[in-house]
Amino acid sequence: MGYLRRLPRFDYLAPRTVDEACSALAERRGDARLFAGGTDLVLQMKRREITPRAIIGLKGVASLSVIRSQAGGIAIGAMTTFGAIESSPLIREKHDFLCETAAGIGSPEIRAVATVGGNLSGALPCADFPAPLMTLGAIVRLRSVRGERALALEDFFMGFAETAAAPDEILTEIELPSRPGFSAGAYVKFHDRHAMDMTTTGVAAFVTWDRARGLIGDVRIALSVSGPVPLRVKNAEAALRGRRLTEEALVEAGLLACREAQPRASWRAREEFRRELIGVLTQRALRQAGEKARVAAERGNA
Amino acid sequence: MKHLSPVSLKVNGDAYELSIPAWRTLLEVLREDLSLTGTKRSCQEGQCGACTVLLDGRAIYSCLFLAVEAQGKEILTIEGLARSAGALDPIQKAFVETGAVQCGFCTPGLVLAAKSFLDENPFPSEEEVRRATVGHLCRCTGYFQIIEAVLAAARERAGKGAQL
Ligand SMILES: Cc1cc2nc3c(=O)[nH]c(=O)nc-3n(C[C@H](O)[C@H](O)[C@H](O)COP(=O)(O)OP(=O)(O)OC[C@H]3O[C@@H](n4cnc5c(N)ncnc54)[C@H](O)[C@@H]3O)c2cc1C
Ligand code: FES
Ligand code: FES
Repeated sequence: MGYLRRLPRFDYLAPRTVDEACSALAERRGDARLFAGGTDLVLQMKRREITPRAIIGLKGVASLSVIRSQAGGIAIGAMTTFGAIESSPLIREKHDFLCETAAGIGSPEIRAVATVGGNLSGALPCADFPAPLMTLGAIVRLRSVRGERALALEDFFMGFAETAAAPDEILTEIELPSRPGFSAGAYVKFHDRHAMDMTTTGVAAFVTWDRARGLIGDVRIALSVSGPVPLRVKNAEAALRGRRLTEEALVEAGLLACREAQPRASWRAREEFRRELIGVLTQRALRQAGEKARVAAERGNA
Repeated sequence: MKHLSPVSLKVNGDAYELSIPAWRTLLEVLREDLSLTGTKRSCQEGQCGACTVLLDGRAIYSCLFLAVEAQGKEILTIEGLARSAGALDPIQKAFVETGAVQCGFCTPGLVLAAKSFLDENPFPSEEEVRRATVGHLCRCTGYFQIIEAVLAAARERAGKGAQL
């Protein structure tokens, strides 16, 4: 980690529309960076980890910070800040755990500026938001001068700071499909301090309750900050479908999750510790989401 | 100097026409070009909160924000908080009266963060005040007085509201 200096020099471009931003990115081939909230980028540049020749500021592209309902689900613009997610009635109504996850990021000052698009596109291992969105089956929309395409968020992360987006593509929107009845999500993370600290490991779970049989219907589990890329742990998921929500089932899922994970080692935690955490946090996330989904089913609140 | 671009900033109600490069942070411009040194510089990496200012009423870290991107917004620094010379804002008064100021380095950032928070949540619980101020380090007071000051300011402001 380099020491901090003033920002290096760069040209600054301020497009007003997505089309303008795409053209700017295509023209400056390779030597330009999209600049969203800048909460990751400013630090990387002050440390000279990256020194782009041009910065394309997206704060003036108003269409990118819209949250709207769409085909029963929700579409969240890439420039939506965590502060806006935290206080969005639309998101709270469908997925209150996303609002809580957003409220747990950094401080109010960070959340006023940091965007969901930057959290995903940066593809840093310490990002919290990929896992909860992955459990919801999120789709990302990418735009460039060549056109538009959609991709499952699960297939978006390729490695450290590396995504499936081509260098000329902009992440424009994150789409969440409509929520199944009697379902609920949870994101549980471990960190050293209660606030303003990077997450050591985080686990998201989304459970759909089978009301007729009183069992776990469908379940998705994803890990943030656990390995090089966010990951769905599908063996653990498979082991839970059609099961009762018992301690035994949760312990088994936790064990499977930590076997499937590829925990990284860092100064925050050794590999063994992260593996153990993944097991425990998986149980907690499943218990929270599972109980909520079960109660919703019993009360008949879809 | 092809890198210089005209930048218009509105700070504490005053308009400034500047000619600055895009790579300068709002913190640098406030302190170095406008001599508004009430906004403090410390970690410069979003960890301490000393550089907090309000942008259209919301608290942000000016060390992570480009000055060019603050154009068209209302910037409020600690110098602009008290409406007239000699009269402190109720939040400033509460900080002084509860002993929430020792060396004072964290104070401008905390007072502005408290203003942004109380404008949104006029009747906060202690827990909410704690969560609203997580992004600020204070090396002197031990935080208890700061939390108390924000709660006292909330009471004072609520009382004023009731009288109106
Ligand atoms: C004090 C502090 C606390 C923090 N706490 C947390 C935390 O608790 N949890 C957490 O997850 N993170 C945390 N972060 C990290 C950071 O705030 C988040 O990752 C944030 O979401 C990044 O978004 P941004 O808009 O600031 O991205 P930027 O820094 O602007 O961009 C990040 C990367 O994404 C690219 N990019 C941005 N937008 C797009 C787009 N639309 N299309 C394509 N590429 C794009 C940029 O080119 C860059 O490479 C913290 C940071 C600080 C400084
Ligand atoms: S100087 Fe900006 S947060 Fe510390
Ligand atoms: S009063 Fe000295 S840092 Fe807070």
